Amino acid sequence: MFGFQLKGQRPPKPRRVKEGVVMRFDHVYEIDPDRMSIIKQQEMPVWDTQRIIANRWEHLSWMHNHFADSVISGEELEKEIEESKKKIRTTKKSTSRRKKR
Amino acid sequence: MSSVAISEPVIDELRAIVGPTYVLTSKTARYNRTRVPAPFPVHRWSEFLPDIVVLPETTEQVSEVVKLANRLKIPVVPRAGGTGLADGAVPLRGGILVDIKRMDKILEIDLDNRTVTLQPGINMLKLNEEILKYGVFYPDDPASYPCSLVGGRIGTSGFSLIAGRYGHTRDLVISMQVVLPTGEIIEVGDGGGRKIRKSSTGFHLKHLFMGHQGTLGICTEATLELVPRPEAEFAAFFGYKDFESAYRSTGALTKSGLATLASVVLFDERKIQYLRRDDEAYIPQPRNLKSVIAVSMYGAVDEVKPAGRRLMQIAKDTGGKYLGDEVSQGDWASRHDRYATPLHGRLLDRRVVPMCWHCEDASINYSNIPNVMREWHEIADRYIKKYGIFDDWGCFFYTNAAYKPWGDYLSEIDIGIWEQKLNDKTWKAWVNCKREITEVTLKYNGSITACHGSTREGDAEYVPEEMGGGFEVMKRIKRVLDPNNIMNPGKNMLDNAYEED
Repeated sequence: MFGFQLKGQRPPKPRRVKEGVVMRFDHVYEIDPDRMSIIKQQEMPVWDTQRIIANRWEHLSWMHNHFADSVISGEELEKEIEESKKKIRTTKKSTSRRKKR
Repeated sequence: MSSVAISEPVIDELRAIVGPTYVLTSKTARYNRTRVPAPFPVHRWSEFLPDIVVLPETTEQVSEVVKLANRLKIPVVPRAGGTGLADGAVPLRGGILVDIKRMDKILEIDLDNRTVTLQPGINMLKLNEEILKYGVFYPDDPASYPCSLVGGRIGTSGFSLIAGRYGHTRDLVISMQVVLPTGEIIEVGDGGGRKIRKSSTGFHLKHLFMGHQGTLGICTEATLELVPRPEAEFAAFFGYKDFESAYRSTGALTKSGLATLASVVLFDERKIQYLRRDDEAYIPQPRNLKSVIAVSMYGAVDEVKPAGRRLMQIAKDTGGKYLGDEVSQGDWASRHDRYATPLHGRLLDRRVVPMCWHCEDASINYSNIPNVMREWHEIADRYIKKYGIFDDWGCFFYTNAAYKPWGDYLSEIDIGIWEQKLNDKTWKAWVNCKREITEVTLKYNGSITACHGSTREGDAEYVPEEMGGGFEVMKRIKRVLDPNNIMNPGKNMLDNAYEED
């Protein structure tokens, strides 16, 4: 088969996730079609939606690599902060136990 | 159209200077170089057309074009990427549009003295791709990073997203070569010396030729600062239960004194409401998230990691909740390329329409942010209700000062405008709205523009008020350097300089 056929790649029906927003695929948000009466929404095949999402992530990742050699994770820093606090608490407890003895 | 018709002999002279291929007279070539991505009276497009477009390749060609224009009193408008949002590159009197995109060569990379000398038609992203192999970086980072050019950054004295760490364009340009309105070619820096960063010799002329919007000449070469390529980037977005907490937290973060801190951006509640409508990072956020702060840091890993930990702690202690790596890293990366965002807004009945973007870019002191924000939104709301073609996209407050990011903020109210509905009445309404916004800025001792320039309608009229006695000096300088008012006439109220004639 040559060329693109929408019927072969028709996306699932949208489900409303909140007021004014619908979703056909996880994490891919769309404006409620009811609000698209002046500018009509384009019908897109699944592969095209997936291509756009993949390209978006690729673009963002490219930007990070362009600006620096590495990206530091805030989630990891949060863990480190918590662990160092735990360590301080444990040290304080054992110091106070030693003092009591 | 220009006051002097560009006749066939003039066109022949221009062809002889830049080559026949690089003189463009077609409707397409001229229409494509008329507007910028800011609100534009599309129903009056033809009033802003240049008469002719030239694409020079060398300083000497620029000089010859300007000499010809000066001799015949033809307006000249320089244009780089055309991404400025204050109409600096929009011709107001027709004339010759000098498009510098062919002047895109890197002339010298000096790793010993950490400079690059180049022509101004090069884009920063392309420049950084070229110099990556040397382990150096040119850190001028506008929201139009992939598409704006060095020449435009100089012409507007542009704002860089990471200036808290590395400085803005004016801090990163060491010296430049300029073709004056009479065609003379000069070098300007802090003093003399093309690669000297600090001098006390004479006047600091470099600053005169930063942000003049093409009214004093055309930059044809620039020597720029190179910094070590950052080993590490750290971006963190924090959510707050209200704007007041986020505002106080912004003060604490910016005053942390951390040298690797590149930016702190405060989003107000209206901005979050706007993003919740259709930004994938904000739609899923909980309802109690009302305001957001974004921070970024760059530098060596050994600096950024401990400083990042300190920032996380400050944000937490002041009521911030980390929004996670996906939002933080994804949203920050997208900020280098805001011009790729397809813009649309909502009508009062919430239907979607295509809209263009007005980016208010005033400088406001920290202590005045809450009042300015409230008054700007009140103005926007009145116009939205009355005309139904505008949309309030919320406010940002962005650390503004280079290296000392605490005292003043690039303050944006972003407003969507349904451009297709513009006519004389609605355009006038928009300009009046813009004027009211500007008046609030001046009322709170702010500056009209931190970023794009004061050349658009609704800003330009207030340049004399903001500059005070300095405006008289501006006019005298303009008359001396540009005796025939050929360079980008009509901008910054500088036509007033010639009124005594």
